[in-house]
Amino acid sequence: MIAKSLKWSRHNLFGKPFDALLTLIVIPTVLWLVYEAVAWALAEAQWDIIPQSLRVLMIGIYPADQAWRAWIAVAIIAALLGMALGYVFAFKARHAGFLALVLLALAAATGTNDLSNLLFLATSAVLFVGGWMLTSWVPLSRKFLVPASFIGLIAIFAIMAPPGANLWGGLLLSILLTLVTSIVTLPIGILLAFGRRSRFSSVRWICTAYIEVMRSVPLIMVVYWIWILMPVLTPQLNFSDVVRGMIGFTIFYSAYVAEYVRSGLQAVPRGQTEAARSLGMSEFDINRSIILPQAIRVVVPPLVGNVLDIFNNAPLVFIIGLTDFLRAGQMILANPQYGDRTYEVYSFLFVTYFLVGSVITFVARKLEAHLARGSR
Amino acid sequence: MDTIVEMKRLNKFYGTHHVLKDIDLSVSRGEVVVVLGASGSGKSTLIRCVNGLEMYQNGSLVVDGYPMPVEEDRLLGGEKELVAIRKGVGMVFQQFNLFPHKTVTENITIAPMRVRKKSREEAEATALKLLDRVGLKAHADKYPAQLSGGQQQRVAIARSLAMEPGLMLFDEPTSALDPEMIGEVLDVIRELAADGMTMMIVTHEMGFARDVADRIVYIDQGSILEIGKPDTFFDNPTNERARTFLARVLKH
Repeated sequence: MIAKSLKWSRHNLFGKPFDALLTLIVIPTVLWLVYEAVAWALAEAQWDIIPQSLRVLMIGIYPADQAWRAWIAVAIIAALLGMALGYVFAFKARHAGFLALVLLALAAATGTNDLSNLLFLATSAVLFVGGWMLTSWVPLSRKFLVPASFIGLIAIFAIMAPPGANLWGGLLLSILLTLVTSIVTLPIGILLAFGRRSRFSSVRWICTAYIEVMRSVPLIMVVYWIWILMPVLTPQLNFSDVVRGMIGFTIFYSAYVAEYVRSGLQAVPRGQTEAARSLGMSEFDINRSIILPQAIRVVVPPLVGNVLDIFNNAPLVFIIGLTDFLRAGQMILANPQYGDRTYEVYSFLFVTYFLVGSVITFVARKLEAHLARGSR
Repeated sequence: MDTIVEMKRLNKFYGTHHVLKDIDLSVSRGEVVVVLGASGSGKSTLIRCVNGLEMYQNGSLVVDGYPMPVEEDRLLGGEKELVAIRKGVGMVFQQFNLFPHKTVTENITIAPMRVRKKSREEAEATALKLLDRVGLKAHADKYPAQLSGGQQQRVAIARSLAMEPGLMLFDEPTSALDPEMIGEVLDVIRELAADGMTMMIVTHEMGFARDVADRIVYIDQGSILEIGKPDTFFDNPTNERARTFLARVLKH
């Protein structure tokens, strides 16, 4: 083992003079940085702020006595994510063990010792695994994923609404915003992509104009704009800030999804359409069963990357007065009592964003590998 | 009706390039017509007009009693009129064009189920019969990527046959195949011809063309220069350019 790693180092780290020089500069620097960071984290940092403000970080200014509603929302999300996961990866026993470990780590890291919270967390985990097993082992249930997710989303909105939608906040808000935007922009993006390739020039023109406009303006502007416009456009319907924010995000990201889907559509060989046409299939059938599946297969990696993009841009809702995860962290620091804990809070924020991002990119890679299974 | 394809003074342009010039051609039911010509002569364009994959600008084209609209009329309307024609005309492509995300059986059953509204059981039974006919019953649940070129092309033929067409078009069916697989595909086509299927075939396989054709159509630079019986065409072509073409092609 040692000989092998020495050989690897010799070849990869010290192969050429330039490589060796770089190694001698970079490795000690990195080691020093890691040592400093870990030393700080273990010795000087005061981490007690995290467990104390965990609720604010997770659900923002949502009232504490209504937190059970948030937990139900988390449980529904966990179930839906589990179902989505089972669609692609079959559940195996070893996954359960890994998951239990992750949960324990989470509970320990955040210092949660409140029994009810732990129970809620456990329930969500069970639902996650349950959903995963359901779609892994019962193929029939896969057809229900799409309607289930819509029902789930509506249920979440219904459960969380009573205390007031403008009180939604924290990591839950960021996640909800990302989920709703990702789910709703997909069908809209697909329609826009087909519209952009339409026979009818008016349809083509409108779709192209929409896409180009949305891709030329900043997201924060669209979010603010929609927030201001909606009460003017629909005075009877009183949309909450959260919903207006979601609408802004959806309108913006539909254009990006449309472009990804369009590149996928272009990647499908023309021969496919020709073969389907010569069999007498209608244009709608051809698009639905032949072109779209092949196109989506190609663009799944960038589409999943888009989800990560949405999540990382969620903090922009601060402009319309919402408290997402990042803003919640800043709010905690605004409290003079905790003013000196900047590093701790931001480290926590950074680690959380990094973990979520890693999970999303990991899923993207696995999906890519899974979809490429059938091809040579 | 005895004539299944009737082309009268058919003209096609790609912009200003005159691709098909005053084509007059009749194909009778049960006949096998082989279209020969050099690359770029318009032979593929000709048969692609028959099922509407290419549009023509003027002239007349009637397929199995249905008139095929000219380009002007097609641009405004949808593809709906063409569906009626395409239901009865099958096409086999040089690049096979199987649907890679569907199994062999699904490739064959999707059109009968969606277009002819057959039930799944009926469609799958037909699919198995056709796969048996082309010798690929064992591969029913495989994906196209798992098959060789020759096998894929035979599945493509079965897929077209599933729609019970009255006319089959073949656009250089063996040009993309390795030499050892050409034979198995040509055998299937030969059997189809023997069973009485009406066909229009574009091919470079001269021996096969001579064997299977009832008539040879020689096309050069968009015009039909010679139509005749295979023996007549190969042994004694009347047209000068046809003679040159044969001399070049039959060398090996």
